[in-house]
Amino acid sequence: MKLMENTKINFMKFKTIGFGLSSAMAIGSILLLLMGVNLGIDFKGGTAIGVSFSEDISIEEIRSSLKTVSINNTSFDLSTEEIKYFGSNSDVMIKIKTLENEPENFGQLVINHLYGSLNSKVPENKNDFILSLGSVSPKVGSELSGKALWSVFSALVLILFYISVRFEFRFALGAILALVHDVIITLGIFSLTGFEITLSTVAAFLTIVGYSLNDTIVILDRIRENMKSSGTVMFESTINKSINQSLSRTLITSLTTLLVIIVLLMYGGEVIRPFSFTMLVGVIIGTYSSIYIASALLATIYQNSK
Amino acid sequence: MDNSIRNRLLTILFVFGLGIYALLPSLRYAMLSEESISNLSKEEVDYYDAKTIKQGLDLKGGIYIVLEVDLPQLINNLAKNKDNNFDLFLIDLKNEYNSTSGDFFSIFEELADKNDLKLPRYFINYGKTRDQIIAQLSLQSEDSIRRVIEIIQNRVDQFGVAEPTIQKQGNNRVIVELAGIQDSERARDLLQSTALLELMIVKDIESTNALIRQLDSITATSNEEAVNDNNEINELFETTGSDNLNFSSLLISVGGNLAISSKNLSSFKNILSQANVKQILDATNSTFLISNSSIALVNEIGEEEESYILYHLFNNAELTGGVIEDAQMRLSQAGVTAGQAVVEVEMNSEGSREWARITGANINNRIAIVLDRKVHMAPVIRSQIFGGGTVIEGLDSIEEAEDIAIVLRAGALPVPVTIAEERTVGASLGADSVTKGTLSMAIGLLLVVFFIVVFYKMSGIIASFSVMWTLILLLGVLALLEATLTLPGIAGLILTVGMSVDANVIIFERIKEELRNGKSVRSAIDSGYERAITTIVDANLTTGIAAAVLYQYGSGPIKGFATVLFWGIIVSMFTAIIVTRFVFDFATSRKNIEKLSI
Repeated sequence: MKLMENTKINFMKFKTIGFGLSSAMAIGSILLLLMGVNLGIDFKGGTAIGVSFSEDISIEEIRSSLKTVSINNTSFDLSTEEIKYFGSNSDVMIKIKTLENEPENFGQLVINHLYGSLNSKVPENKNDFILSLGSVSPKVGSELSGKALWSVFSALVLILFYISVRFEFRFALGAILALVHDVIITLGIFSLTGFEITLSTVAAFLTIVGYSLNDTIVILDRIRENMKSSGTVMFESTINKSINQSLSRTLITSLTTLLVIIVLLMYGGEVIRPFSFTMLVGVIIGTYSSIYIASALLATIYQNSK
Repeated sequence: MDNSIRNRLLTILFVFGLGIYALLPSLRYAMLSEESISNLSKEEVDYYDAKTIKQGLDLKGGIYIVLEVDLPQLINNLAKNKDNNFDLFLIDLKNEYNSTSGDFFSIFEELADKNDLKLPRYFINYGKTRDQIIAQLSLQSEDSIRRVIEIIQNRVDQFGVAEPTIQKQGNNRVIVELAGIQDSERARDLLQSTALLELMIVKDIESTNALIRQLDSITATSNEEAVNDNNEINELFETTGSDNLNFSSLLISVGGNLAISSKNLSSFKNILSQANVKQILDATNSTFLISNSSIALVNEIGEEEESYILYHLFNNAELTGGVIEDAQMRLSQAGVTAGQAVVEVEMNSEGSREWARITGANINNRIAIVLDRKVHMAPVIRSQIFGGGTVIEGLDSIEEAEDIAIVLRAGALPVPVTIAEERTVGASLGADSVTKGTLSMAIGLLLVVFFIVVFYKMSGIIASFSVMWTLILLLGVLALLEATLTLPGIAGLILTVGMSVDANVIIFERIKEELRNGKSVRSAIDSGYERAITTIVDANLTTGIAAAVLYQYGSGPIKGFATVLFWGIIVSMFTAIIVTRFVFDFATSRKNIEKLSI
């Protein structure tokens, strides 16, 4: 079967449109992110509990049950905390911010409260009721976010260094900008969905970095090879030629990866859904950015340095 | 068959064999029925434990707890001659330690300098100069975290959890993973309880009344006499909630004991933490402790109030848990506690001698059995006790009694621990993730295979074969590394499949290009591979760099992801570059193939 063989698409003709589109999306994403990112308890501390009722339950019902949670004679009003369904209308996820006078073992006590106060709709065995429980102290939260940021940052620096050595600095610049572009826009779209950022979504973002990088390197590699024969004269056409030559590979790989991700999104279950969604967006953006950020930027840099 | 092909074949067969060999225990374990798993001997369990791919807690359910050693409290315990200045320093230290993530002893040093604290005054046992003392204290803290780990290990072992993991994190944390446990409340109590057992003499009523009067006079003024001169402690005061609380207004008298309502506990603690109150308590060698379980008392307006019995004790413990030789849960046979769970404690010979002396000297006094600063019971000593036995009553359930016996046997923690992070995953959610993850992985894999076979025909079958082996070898490596597979790890597996497919696609597209340029099958394969290899190596190495960095700095789930990704890259490069190349070379080596099915 043949797919996109011997194409001669002038990708660089739409370079300006690409830059415009990317800038607009990136700025939009940054604005969205400035308005607030939905950070999970991993990064800002707090308690998250997941419970499974034996039948469908309304969020309102849970909210009113959480209106007065009495623990050791102190009453807590948790009705304003984040409550949402988790997969089905009988499974619920509740995220509670760190409270100043939070008692020991808070999450478990809230679960006990729900189990008692909504007792007509809970499974007989309490262990079947508890889906998950997580609590992170704000101190650990800030440490985890510090570590995550630091690891992403140092990975980017090392990649920049490697590409500079293997190719040249101008290639590295394009590749890194493409990566930053991908992560920012995916984060922006991600924040629209209301999913929260946890340690596993960080893993998803890192996967995107890996994937997008892979894609970019394949094209850059072609450009480097074609430059050997044609030099930097007619640089745009060299880039166009390179993108066209690797186009069928780009499409086949993206398609197969997307296929796996869509299956994961459909059948992978609730826990992995934010991960699959991030990957879906990231792969599409990553494929696009290899052409319109990494390569197009390279064309612009070479034009200006001539 | 020429030499090069034979050598390559042997290498590949060797690696494949190794992969299969590493995976065999996991496969055998997966095929065991539930019944035969429960019948495994200890050696077999250990064998499977070491040789199979372990599932992370997010997949099989369980509790993950990060304990943080309360280092400020340790410093407080070690300090002597404490004064107001030191107390203020300690508060600063606690706040700073809890809000920043810096090294504890740098914070300690910095704050000691800032508060102009003369360290030798408080820590003369640990050195004469500031630097000596800090070095010694830091050794002490290392020692206590070692003991904490030892004791926690002991407790968890006795609790009977399969495959517990206990490891040190940084220099002040301990990670405990308990698979298959869901009762977070019980696990927390078991790990966190300091298990400090103290036997303390209860002060008599006269001195209690005298102390209460003294405390009343220095807390808010009151127009009523605090206590009758009578031998009994009467209902003292009922006013609560006003700012003008005096000490006795918080107390209730019940059957010869003092009690305190739970809603007054915080005001009570506030009063006790006042400097002048502390002074009086120190001067009279007194301390107040409450009972471990609450009772319901009816107040003046007929409401039931949750209350605790309050004990006035000599501040120094007569005996501590260090003398315990054994502790066992028993069901009480006689008396009012018949049928209830109690813990029987046996002391060593030194403890027994001390116990006999104390009980002999305090006949008709009450002795409080205090566990973690809560009074479990305070019986009257009727006669001298020989043999070093004692019983702890007042426990809610058999489980509680069992757990207390465990913590007493395992020993007391040298320093309190707090829970910095906790994650519990229910078994059902974990199992759900595994089933769905495996199912979608299988479907995804089938679709990918279908796709590349449609695209590349015969060559697509070779590629599918290489992708399949990538997965097998990667799982084999994980089993050899004794790695734990978590949900992000599964994501890493999926990414590896993607990278492995991609490597094949890059190679095939190159070969096709070379064929289009008119090269023969043989030379198209050769130059196709040659050119594709630089691309594949560059692409994989950059991703490999990212994976290595993540492994280095990442925590928990990120680390699991990085491990899988890193080895995935290495394995997929092996299968794509060496294995498929071999298959092509082998297929084209014998006869001159004119057309390649690609």
